[in-house]
Amino acid sequence: MNLRQSKIRNFCIIAHIDHGKSTLADRLIENTGTVSKRDMSEQLLDSMDLERERGITIKLTPTRMFYNYNGEEYILNLIDTPGHVDFTYEVSRSLAACEGAILIVDASQGVEAQTIANTYLALDNNLEILPVINKIDLPSADIEKCKKEIEDIIGLPADECPCISAKDNINIDDVLKQIVECIPAPKGDVQKPLKALIFDSCYDNFKGAISFVRIVDGSVKIGDKIKMMTTGKVYDVTEVGVFTPSMKQVDMLQVGDVGYICASIKNLSDTKVGDTITNAENPCEHALPGYKEVQPVVFSGIFPVDGNRYGDLKDALEKLKLNDASLNFTPETSIALGFGFRCGFLGLLHMEIITERLEREFNLDIITTAPSVSYHVFKTDGEMLEVSNPSMLPKVSEIERIEEPMIKLHVYTPPEYVGAIMELCQEKRGEYIDMQYIEKTRVVMEYKMPLGEMIYDFFDALKSRTRGYASLDYEIYGFMPSDLVKLDLMLNGETCDALSLIVHKDKAYTRGRQIAEKLKKVIPRQLFEVPIQACIGGKIIARETVSAMRKDVLAKCYGGDISRKRKLLEKQKAGKKRMRQFGSVELPSEAFISILKTDDND
Amino acid sequence: MTMINKMIYVHIPFCDSKCYYCNFCSANYPQEIRTKYFEKLLEEIKFNSNKNFEVSSIYIGGGTPSSVDEKYIQKILLAIKENYIIKSDAEISIECNPCSITEQKLFAYKSCGVNRISFGVQTLNNKQLKQIGRRHNKKQAKNAIKLAKMCGFSNINADFLIGIPNQSYFSLKSNLSQIIKLGVTHISAYMLINESGTKLTKLIEDKKVKVPTEDKCVYMYNKMVGYLKKKNYHRYEISNFSLQGFECKHNQGYWQMTEYYGFGLAAHSFVCGARYSNTSVMDEYLNFDFNYQKENLSNEEIIEELIMLGLRTQNGVNKHTLKNYGYNYDDKKEIIDNLRDNHFITEDEDYIRVCEDKFGVTNQIILKLL
Repeated sequence: MNLRQSKIRNFCIIAHIDHGKSTLADRLIENTGTVSKRDMSEQLLDSMDLERERGITIKLTPTRMFYNYNGEEYILNLIDTPGHVDFTYEVSRSLAACEGAILIVDASQGVEAQTIANTYLALDNNLEILPVINKIDLPSADIEKCKKEIEDIIGLPADECPCISAKDNINIDDVLKQIVECIPAPKGDVQKPLKALIFDSCYDNFKGAISFVRIVDGSVKIGDKIKMMTTGKVYDVTEVGVFTPSMKQVDMLQVGDVGYICASIKNLSDTKVGDTITNAENPCEHALPGYKEVQPVVFSGIFPVDGNRYGDLKDALEKLKLNDASLNFTPETSIALGFGFRCGFLGLLHMEIITERLEREFNLDIITTAPSVSYHVFKTDGEMLEVSNPSMLPKVSEIERIEEPMIKLHVYTPPEYVGAIMELCQEKRGEYIDMQYIEKTRVVMEYKMPLGEMIYDFFDALKSRTRGYASLDYEIYGFMPSDLVKLDLMLNGETCDALSLIVHKDKAYTRGRQIAEKLKKVIPRQLFEVPIQACIGGKIIARETVSAMRKDVLAKCYGGDISRKRKLLEKQKAGKKRMRQFGSVELPSEAFISILKTDDND
Repeated sequence: MTMINKMIYVHIPFCDSKCYYCNFCSANYPQEIRTKYFEKLLEEIKFNSNKNFEVSSIYIGGGTPSSVDEKYIQKILLAIKENYIIKSDAEISIECNPCSITEQKLFAYKSCGVNRISFGVQTLNNKQLKQIGRRHNKKQAKNAIKLAKMCGFSNINADFLIGIPNQSYFSLKSNLSQIIKLGVTHISAYMLINESGTKLTKLIEDKKVKVPTEDKCVYMYNKMVGYLKKKNYHRYEISNFSLQGFECKHNQGYWQMTEYYGFGLAAHSFVCGARYSNTSVMDEYLNFDFNYQKENLSNEEIIEELIMLGLRTQNGVNKHTLKNYGYNYDDKKEIIDNLRDNHFITEDEDYIRVCEDKFGVTNQIILKLL
C-alpha cells in the first residue's frame, strides 16, 4: 500500500431517519474547512429543495474532505445515505463503496428500527462501524441508556463512542479522530488494471451520463479507454474529478479514491449502478459483485391534469429516470383519465417524492391514482398475470386464485404500545410471528403482513397510535394466496376505472362505504345530481349522492366593471380545467388520491 | 370617426360609513378631498367631450351619491349636458341612501334632469340592517320612497339583499309587500356575496353572525321570484325585476354591450370595443392625466362577455352575434344539446336563454358554453 492510499478513509453515515445524519455531515464538512462557513447552507448535501424542506435525504451525495491528524493530512470521503426504509437499496449502494460507517444514535430516542436494519447492512458489507451518540444537548438525552442499548441491542462496544451534538457543534473533532484511527485505509493495488465500482450516476446536459465511482484497483485519467464490464461498451474518458462537494476536475483518480468519471456517455443505462469500469486496453479479470436489481413494490397511475401535456409528462419522467434508476414507468390508458403512465416505486415516500418533483421541477399538474401493489393472478387456463392496475384484473370467472405480496414487518416500540400495535396489525391482516424484549424498555414485534395493507396509511396509523414512539422496518417476503376482490366505484352509473381497487373481501364493504363518503366530500356540487355507488362484481354495496348545485351567479356589476367579472369567470374556467370530465361528471384531481386516505376516522 | 358611445356612468366614491358587506371603492373622505375630487371629475367629463353621439342613459352611482351636496350632482349633469348630446328620453338615475335623502336634494336632482331614483333599501328589518352595517332604518326607507314619489319621481328602484344574517322568507316577503305598496317600479335583488376582506366576512368567520345556508338562500330567492311575478314585476335580468316598461335602460345597456364612458374613481369605460379602467386610488385619481389604462378585447374575450352578459338577461345571447365573432357551435353542440335536453337552456333560431328556474346556476351554464 502506498503512502497516499494509507491516508484515505472512505466512510458513510447511517442512522434512523431524523437522528441527525445530514446535520453531522454538514458539521464534518464545516469543521474540516471543506466549505467555508459563509457558503454553508443548512444541510448542504441535501441539494434538492424537497430534501431540505422535508428534512430527508433522497440522493447520495459524496464529499471529499481534508483532515489534519497528528501533523499528517488525510483525505476523508463521505458518502451520504438516505435514512428512510424506502431507500434501503440506496444505502446498500453507498456501503459497498466504503470501509467504514458512522452509526448515529439519537441520545433521547435510542436505537430504532432503521438503526438496526442499517447496521446489519453495514455488517453484511464488512464495514467497520463507529457508533456516535448525537443530540446530547437535548434535555431528554440519556447517554448511559443509549450506550447500553448500543451494546445490548446492536452488540457494539460503546465505551469510547463520541457523544456529540451536531446541531451545537460539540465534540465533532472526536468523530473525525475516530474516522482516521478506526476506519481502515482502502485496500487495492494501484499497479493492477483499473477496477472501479459505479455506486451512483447522474445525468448532465453537457457532460452526458456521469458515473460516481470508487476506485478499487488501478487508476484512471483523461484520455483512457474504459470499458463497462456488463455491456462491454468502450468509451474515452473526457473528465475525472472529485466531489468538493461540487464536482471538481482532477488529473487522475487512483486506488481508494471516490470520484466521478465522464466519458461522453449518452445513456444513463450505459452507466449501470453496480457495474464495474475497467481499462479497455488492460482489463481486469473479474468484475465486482455489484448489486442486485431493485424491484418496485408500489405502483400508481400518473396522468396529466391537462390531457395535452402527456408528452411533457413523458419527458419529465424520462428526465427523472436519468437520475433515479429505481423509477420505472410504462404507458397506460384510462377511460376516466386518458393517457398516462403506470409507475413503479420503491415505496410510498418514493412515490410522494416523484410526484412532488414532477409538480415542482417540471411544473406539471398531475393526477395520481391510489397506489397498488403487484398481484399474481392465476387464471383458470393456467396462465399467470402480474396485475398492478386494478382495472386490468380479469373477470372473476377467469380467475383461479390471486396471490398478494407479503412483507415481514418489524416494529420497535416501548412495551406500553404493544396492545395498540397488535390491534393495528390485526386490522391490517397481519399475522403474528414473534415478539421479543430486546431490553426492558424496548420490544420488537414481528409480523407477516400483506404489503397492500402496509401501503394504506399504516405508517401514519402506527405513528398516531404510539405517539410517534414506534419505528418500523420491513422486507419483502414472497407471495401468498388471498381472498381478494375488485372494488369498483360508479359515478352517475358509470364505472370509473381510475377509482377501482383490489381489496380483501372482508374489508370490501367498509372500504366501499368509506370511499363513497369520501368522494361525496371531494366532488363539488354540479348542475346535475351525481350518484356515487361502490360495487363488487356488479353488486352495489354503498351509495351516496352529491346533490345538484343551486347557486352560482356573479355578483352585481359595479361601475361597469365588466372586466373584473370576466376575469372572475376566467379564473373559474381555469379551475374547471383542473377537473376531469368523466361522462357528465366533473371530477377534481384530489378525488383519485383521496380514496387512499379513508382509513381511521377523519 | 363616429363614436357610438351611448351611456355615461359617474362614480361618487363617498359614503358616510362603510357597510359591512361592501368591498367596493368608497370611503368617508374629508371635505377638501371631496372638493378636489369633483373638480377633477368635471375636468374628466370635459376632457372626453364628444358631441358626435347621443347619450341614452346616465347613471350616478357610488358610494352614496346622495351623501354629497346636491350642487355637485347639478354641476356633473350640467357638465355632461355641455359636453355631450343627451337624448330627450334619456334615463338619468342616481343611487340614494334612504337616510341621506331630503326633499331639497330630490328637487335639485329633478331640476337637472334626474328621472330615476334607486334606493339602497336592502331589507326593512331593523335588526338585519344593523347587522350589515346600514345606517338607515325601516321608517327612513319607507319615508324616502314616499318623499321621492311626492317630489314627482315615478321611476323608483329599491335594492334588496338576499342572504343577510337572520333573514327568513317570511320577513323578506313582508318587506317586499310593503315596498310594492309604496309604488316602486323596479326591484333589484342580489344574493349577498361574502367577499374576502369585508367586515361581514370576518364576523361570519369568527362565528359572530350566521348567514342563511346556500340552499336556504336559493329557496328564498325562488320564492321571491314567484311572489314578484304575481305582483307583475317580471324578471328581465337575473337579479332585476320591474313593472312593464320600467326596465333599467342603463343596466340593460351593460348586458347588451352598449358602449359607455365611466367617469370618476375606479370607473370603467367601454369605448370602440376596448375596455378602460380608472385607478381606484384617490391620490392617483386626483393627479390623473387622463392617460387611460386600456384593455383591447380579443374575439375570444368578446365571445366570453357576450355569453356572460347575454345569459343574464331574459332575452339571452344572440347566436348570430356569437357566430360573427367566431364562436364554434359544432364544438359545443353536444354540450348545448345536453343542457337543452335537461332544461337548463332553451334555444330558438336566434337566441340561447337560461331557463327561468335555472338562473341561479347561470355561471355554471356560462362556463359550459365557453
